[in-house]
Amino acid sequence: MHATIQKPIDEIIKHIQPGEKVFVVGCNNCAWKCYSGGEAETEMMAKRLEKRGIEVAGYTVPGPQGMSLCKLSHTRKVLLEDHADEVKNADSFLILGCGQGVHTVIDATDGGMVHPGCDTVFGGETVSDTHIEEYCSLCGDCIIENTGGLCPMTLCAKQLLNGPCGGAEDGHCEVDPERPCGWILIYERLKKLGRLDLLDSYQPPKKNSKWSRPRSLEVSPTEATFCSISGKVTISNQD
Amino acid sequence: MKLTTLFEKGEFVVTGEVGPIKGAIHRDKSIEPSCAIEALQLHQHVHAVNVTDNQSAVMRLGSLAASVRLKTNGIEPVYQLTCRDRNRLALQSDLLTAYSLGIDNVLLLTGDHIQLGDHKEAKPVFDLDSVQLIDMAKGLKRGYDISGSRIENYLDMAFGAVVNPNSDPLDLQIMKMKKKIDAGAQFFQTQAVYDVTVFEKFIKKVEKFNCPIQVGIVILKSPQMARFMNKNVSGVHVPEDLIEEIGSVAKEDRKKKSAEIAGRFVKEVKSICQGVHIMPLGWTDIVPDILEYAGIKHK
Repeated sequence: MHATIQKPIDEIIKHIQPGEKVFVVGCNNCAWKCYSGGEAETEMMAKRLEKRGIEVAGYTVPGPQGMSLCKLSHTRKVLLEDHADEVKNADSFLILGCGQGVHTVIDATDGGMVHPGCDTVFGGETVSDTHIEEYCSLCGDCIIENTGGLCPMTLCAKQLLNGPCGGAEDGHCEVDPERPCGWILIYERLKKLGRLDLLDSYQPPKKNSKWSRPRSLEVSPTEATFCSISGKVTISNQD
Repeated sequence: MKLTTLFEKGEFVVTGEVGPIKGAIHRDKSIEPSCAIEALQLHQHVHAVNVTDNQSAVMRLGSLAASVRLKTNGIEPVYQLTCRDRNRLALQSDLLTAYSLGIDNVLLLTGDHIQLGDHKEAKPVFDLDSVQLIDMAKGLKRGYDISGSRIENYLDMAFGAVVNPNSDPLDLQIMKMKKKIDAGAQFFQTQAVYDVTVFEKFIKKVEKFNCPIQVGIVILKSPQMARFMNKNVSGVHVPEDLIEEIGSVAKEDRKKKSAEIAGRFVKEVKSICQGVHIMPLGWTDIVPDILEYAGIKHK
C-alpha cells in the first residue's frame, strides 16, 4: 500500500486562491487505511476548508471501501458522471490520496487543476490498523532471495548489500537508535532458518537503471512488460 | 610506498590519522594547513598517515587534496575514500586521479551516514557498498572499469579496509571482512578497541585469513570524552575502569596518562597483530610516548 499523511491544513489552504472553488477527492483504499483520505476524513476536510472560508464545490471518495482512487476508469466515471455538476462548477481538486491518485484525478478530469492534500511517504505493509511499516523501496531489482526476504535496500540506512557497517549498537542502527540494524535482522532470521550460508556470496552493485523514473508496466492475463531506462523486459506467467 | 610492502617485510606498521581542515589550503605555499602540520608532527614516528574523507559526514577539504599535500611534504598518506558522497563513476575517477597524483595507499570505506554530520538534508549516495568498492578498485588494478571497459595505465595501489572487532554479532562482521578480502582488500585497520579480550577473541577468528591487521587506537583524552564516545560513537566501547583511570589524574597529567593507557594496550596486543593505527584526534604529540610505552621502535 502507499502510505500517506495529510499535509498541515495551513499549508493546504495557502495554495488555494481567493474565490477558488475546490472539489475534495479521497481514496477508499490506501488513504482510507491511513486515515488520511477515507470517507470520514474527506467529509471532514470539506468542513475544515469551509470553516476557513474556502468554497467547497463538492466531495467524494470513489467506490466502496477497498476501491483505489488510482483506478482511472472508475474515478473518471465517478467524477464526470456521478458528480458531473459539482465537478463542472469546481476550479480545482484537492486530493486526499497518494501521488498516483493525484495524477489519476488529472487524467480523469482531462487536465484539471490539482492540489495534493497529502505527502506520499512510502510503500508499506499494514502491520495493524494503526501501524504501517516500510519493507520495500520499489527499486525494480529485487535482491531479497539471499537475505531471507528482508530488504537491505530498505532496512539498512546505508542500503548496504554485502553486510552491515560496523556501527550497530546493541542491535540498533547508528543512524536511528530507535530502529533495529537491518543486517542484524537479516542475520538473526537466516540463523533461525539455518541458512546463514546465503550470506556468503558476493552481492554485485544494483542495476540502478531499473530504478530510473518514470517507469511503466504493460500487463495482460498472460504476460507483462516492464519498461525502464534499462530497456523492456517481458515476462510470461504461463509456463 | 605501499603499506603492503612493509607488511611483506614483516614490519610492525604504524599509521596515524589527520582530518582535513574545514576550508581550502592557502595559495601561499609557505602556509601549511593544520592537518599537514599535525602530519608533520607524526612524520618521524609513523610509516604513513591516514587522511579522512569528510569524516563523520562533516564537509571539509577533500581527502585527496590533503593527501597530496602530505605526499609533497614527504609523508606517506593513506587516502581514505568513502561511498557516501560518490557514485561508481566518481569513485573510479577519484581512484584513477589519486594514483595519477602519486597516491600509493587507499583505504576503501562505506562512510558515516549523512545524518551523523553537518549536511543532514543532503542526498546519501551509497551507490556501492565497501565490498563492491574494493571489488571495483581491484578491476581498475587489472585493467577494467566496473562496466567491463578496458582502461589504459592501470592503477597500482595498496587497498586497505576496515573492520570492527567490537561488533555484535561478531560472525556477521567477519562474514563481511571475508568478502572484503575476497574482493581484494590487502590489509585492515580496525575500529578503536580498548579491551584486550575483545581483540584476542576477534583475532582468533580471523587469523586464518592471513591478512595483515592494524589494531585501531583512539586515544582517551578525558572521562568526559570517553563517555561521549560510549554514548555517541556507535561500535566503540570504553570500559569503565579505563574511564576511571584517565579521570584519576589532574588535567595537566592527562596526556601522559593517555599515552600510558594506549601504550599499555598496544604492548599487550602487538604480538597478535601486524600493526597499529593511532587516531590521536589532535594529540599528535603523545604518539611517540605511546610507541615508547608499547615497546615499538620508532620508524
